[in-house]
Amino acid sequence: MSFIPGQPVTAVVQRIEICKLRQCDNLILGFSIGGGIDQDPGQNPFSEDKTDKGIYVTRVSKGGPAEAAGLMIGDKIMQVNGWDMTMVTHDQARKRLTKKNEDVVRLLVTRKSLEDAVRNAMV
Amino acid sequence: MPAEVRQEQSPSNQTSLAMMQEPQEIVEETVTIEEDPGTPTSHVSVVTSDDGTTRRTETKVTKVVKTVTRRTYHPVVVSETLVGSKPATPTPGDSDSVTKMVKTVTTRTVRQVPLGPDGVPFPEGSSPLGSYTNSIDRRFMKNGERFSTPQATSTLTRSYNNYSDSYGETPEGPYRHYGLHDGYGDLPDSYGSLSRGVNYRPRYPYMASSGYRPENSYTLPIRKDDYSHVAQPQVPLGGTVDLNRSQPERFQAEPYGLEDDRRSLGPDDDEPYDLESDYSTANRRTVGGANHGRHMREPPRVRGGYEDPIEADLIDDRHPYMPNLYSAPLAQAELGSLASLDRMGPMGGRRSPSADSVRKDPRWRDPDLPEVIAMLGHPVDPVKSNAAAYLQHLCYENDKVKKEVRHLKGVPLLVGLLDHPRPEVHRKACGALRNISYGRDHDNKVAIKNCDGIPALIRLLRKTSDMEVRELVTGTLWNLSSYEPLKMVIINHGLQTLTNEVIIPHSGWEQEPNEDSKPRDAEWTTVFKNTSGCLRNVSSDGAEARRRLRECEGLVDALLHALQSAVGKKDMDNKSVENCVCIMRNLSYHVHKEVPGAEKFQEPSTNQAPGSVGPQRKKKDDAGCFGGKKTKEEWFNQGRKNGESEKSYDTLDLPKRTEPTKGFELLYQPEVVRLYLSLLTESQNYNTLEAAAGALQNLSAGQWTWSNYIRATVRKEKGLPILVELLRSDSDKVVRAVAIALRNLSMDRRNKDLIGSYAMRDLVSNLPSGQQRPAKNLEEDTVVAVLNTIHEIVTDSSENARSLIQAQAIEKLVAINRTSQSQRETKAASYVLQAVWSHKELRNSLAKDGWNKTHFQPTATSQAKGTRSNKPAYDDTTLPLMEKNQDGYSTIDQKDKDCKYKSGDVSSDLAEREPLKNDTNRKQFVRTNRPAVNLVDTCDVKPQPVDSWV
Repeated sequence: MSFIPGQPVTAVVQRIEICKLRQCDNLILGFSIGGGIDQDPGQNPFSEDKTDKGIYVTRVSKGGPAEAAGLMIGDKIMQVNGWDMTMVTHDQARKRLTKKNEDVVRLLVTRKSLEDAVRNAMV
Repeated sequence: MPAEVRQEQSPSNQTSLAMMQEPQEIVEETVTIEEDPGTPTSHVSVVTSDDGTTRRTETKVTKVVKTVTRRTYHPVVVSETLVGSKPATPTPGDSDSVTKMVKTVTTRTVRQVPLGPDGVPFPEGSSPLGSYTNSIDRRFMKNGERFSTPQATSTLTRSYNNYSDSYGETPEGPYRHYGLHDGYGDLPDSYGSLSRGVNYRPRYPYMASSGYRPENSYTLPIRKDDYSHVAQPQVPLGGTVDLNRSQPERFQAEPYGLEDDRRSLGPDDDEPYDLESDYSTANRRTVGGANHGRHMREPPRVRGGYEDPIEADLIDDRHPYMPNLYSAPLAQAELGSLASLDRMGPMGGRRSPSADSVRKDPRWRDPDLPEVIAMLGHPVDPVKSNAAAYLQHLCYENDKVKKEVRHLKGVPLLVGLLDHPRPEVHRKACGALRNISYGRDHDNKVAIKNCDGIPALIRLLRKTSDMEVRELVTGTLWNLSSYEPLKMVIINHGLQTLTNEVIIPHSGWEQEPNEDSKPRDAEWTTVFKNTSGCLRNVSSDGAEARRRLRECEGLVDALLHALQSAVGKKDMDNKSVENCVCIMRNLSYHVHKEVPGAEKFQEPSTNQAPGSVGPQRKKKDDAGCFGGKKTKEEWFNQGRKNGESEKSYDTLDLPKRTEPTKGFELLYQPEVVRLYLSLLTESQNYNTLEAAAGALQNLSAGQWTWSNYIRATVRKEKGLPILVELLRSDSDKVVRAVAIALRNLSMDRRNKDLIGSYAMRDLVSNLPSGQQRPAKNLEEDTVVAVLNTIHEIVTDSSENARSLIQAQAIEKLVAINRTSQSQRETKAASYVLQAVWSHKELRNSLAKDGWNKTHFQPTATSQAKGTRSNKPAYDDTTLPLMEKNQDGYSTIDQKDKDCKYKSGDVSSDLAEREPLKNDTNRKQFVRTNRPAVNLVDTCDVKPQPVDSWV
């Protein structure tokens, strides 16, 4: 899926709801993100379009809440609790995900396999 | 079923709408270029533009695009809404209603979300679409009737420009090379839906044109004759016409108007323009330059490409209004302006060459820069304003053009236009000045100042009530304020005006609060943000600047009120708040030395706060509760427990107030502590956090009565745990500010004991272990600050030294002392080790752990004589290091500073002007100009991809 940052894009998305896990004082989601408009998109191994500055899931911890919810490595996060993640800095995304007062995050993610599936279905 | 086809922005449009605001703000920051280089919101600058109208409109259009997109799935609803909205639009320029309407649309769509995946245009979709089209056309017609057609067309085109890149490029020959859109082919619906957005555009021209109508009427009659008496010898007739006609282009210019996408370029320090093309954001520029022209010429093109059959209808409907179907003169006008864009290109160095292929008509050429500047003096007002707007466009992030404008004496002309009675003239002139003032070429700023531009801007601010102009004026001032030598000039001419005209009204503060009415909240307007940014910059200009700001009537009161309202509304992450806190911090710097009457409050140098003696034994009882759930309460209760003396101290020593404090006295009243602590607890903005911690640091420094109160109040307000928690922050500068604040706070004996027992582990965890940096990778300055804080709290407290040992710090300290590359770290570590060793009662246990005297003796290198003696100059820990160009202190961009101050004479100049720093601090101060390594929020493009666990 290629897009111009900030421009409307159509994407096939999946909703993923992750309940944060309390670890000591921290609420964790159990995955890590890369990307963001302040990052070098060329180094993102997951994007097809190397100018895509979106937020991508780079790692998912085994048995963590994110894995349980079905998040996969390489997913592109489109929204977090309704907030657009396609045009945010890395840190904005991180903060959005780690709000201390939110126990649940609802993600919209897109991934290539989803798009393929939909495209095939339409053919 | 998890997979749904969705638009990216669809699910909660309300929020994404809200988000749209963010980019804007960011852009604005950029505007103030030097201030905040960092935020790379690429497309934003397209959205925002200098001209308020444009901006609003553009935003709206974006929204609409989104909304409309949805229509693919629910054509009916949307079209209804749109039609329904029609009545709202006829009010020219009434963007609000339009926006609202858009929102409505959005909401409805949202409700209908559960649509099946299908991007293929519904057959039913066509009819609603048709109605939609009709409505647009009608409106469009109106345009046609009312306004001269070229305008309508041009405006139309303009909107295309901005968004064109997102629309599927049609395979029409000449435009192919713009293919930015490879990806769109995958999903058919993207084409369809996006193109619908285009339909909507016509609204846009409507508003814009209303603003320009008067000009237009001038333009037409003028033509060549008029032009001929202006000094434009080389302009051929065609050129003249083209100039007159080039209004549309001016519209085009506006998206550029906001100067600044520097930040989107990231590491642009050396060769900003060379880098650009490597970043995706560069597209924008290309689109700007080349596409502009292209679209202007042939707006219909856009539609041609869509597969949606409905679109085809639309095109047909619209044809009458398209320029190329018009009679020749109109089309030529468009061409002319196109050409101008292009030809300017080479001069600017970087317009997309691709547009050349489109434009071959030799009859038109655009004015060259001297001509444009000469037109600023044209007797006809619209020509002036067009010329200014065109200049603004040309200057947009083009340092070369800016320089040339300066050399061609364009700046005095523009400044002269600021006093022009016609709004569109001074507005455009101000827009041009804003762009010219943006950038690190300070000569432009100086040029504005030299022709009395600053008083002229201030005059304009006083005179106008037009929000847009005010934004431009304050934005320009913010830009100007980033250059040190201009800061005092701005203070001299504008401080009180800025305070009275912007800060006070927007802060919601009322000098004489009406008893009945509820206190007003601050409004975070762009004007307020710009103004506070400007004051933030000027507040870092040394003692005199601070004095002027402190004594500026109502300023401190208003800023405090604004911050309090931010805390009240839990809206603390925005730039305005950041600016306000930074001003407060800067003004709090050296209050104990600088405010009138400070001598009266000075205390004898032994600074034991009364009542803070001997709580050491108690402290042990509470050991271990830190970090537990009840930490804060414990701390608080502890204060109560051994609080006999404590209480009397508080009541006894707080001076009785006969009248409410106001003005600068508010800066250091213990009441502010709660405000800063709220910010520290709630804000997510690193700069705000750093500034709030810095303010506490400033206030708790020094040996006067008020700093004693502040130190005690921080403890009572349970601020210590808040601060200690921030030691774990990811942000280097936050850690640094907090560490120094803790050091100042520990001048209070009780604080020292508490910090020693509860904060030690967090302090130590910020230390690198030898060569190996911890994950946080803190800067040298921060490490030194942490070491100094540790030194302060273990000195004279064997209890604290014991906690230090228990925190496994000795190993780290020895490692730093032995192996650190940094002399300052080595030295600081060595002081700590010496302080530990000086506690004789601990030596036994140290020896048991395998340490001996040699580990604690200064190493050869760090043995400089006399260092020990200048150590306890705690007074100077008052953040002197941040005084000037340090990042948090002014909004000046770090990268900028690097090249600006580090190499230039400016830096020495600045350093000299700040006599209060002691030597070590100055060193620190200069060093801090380095961009922090791990500060995500500086938005530097990092070499290494960042990856964070969440």
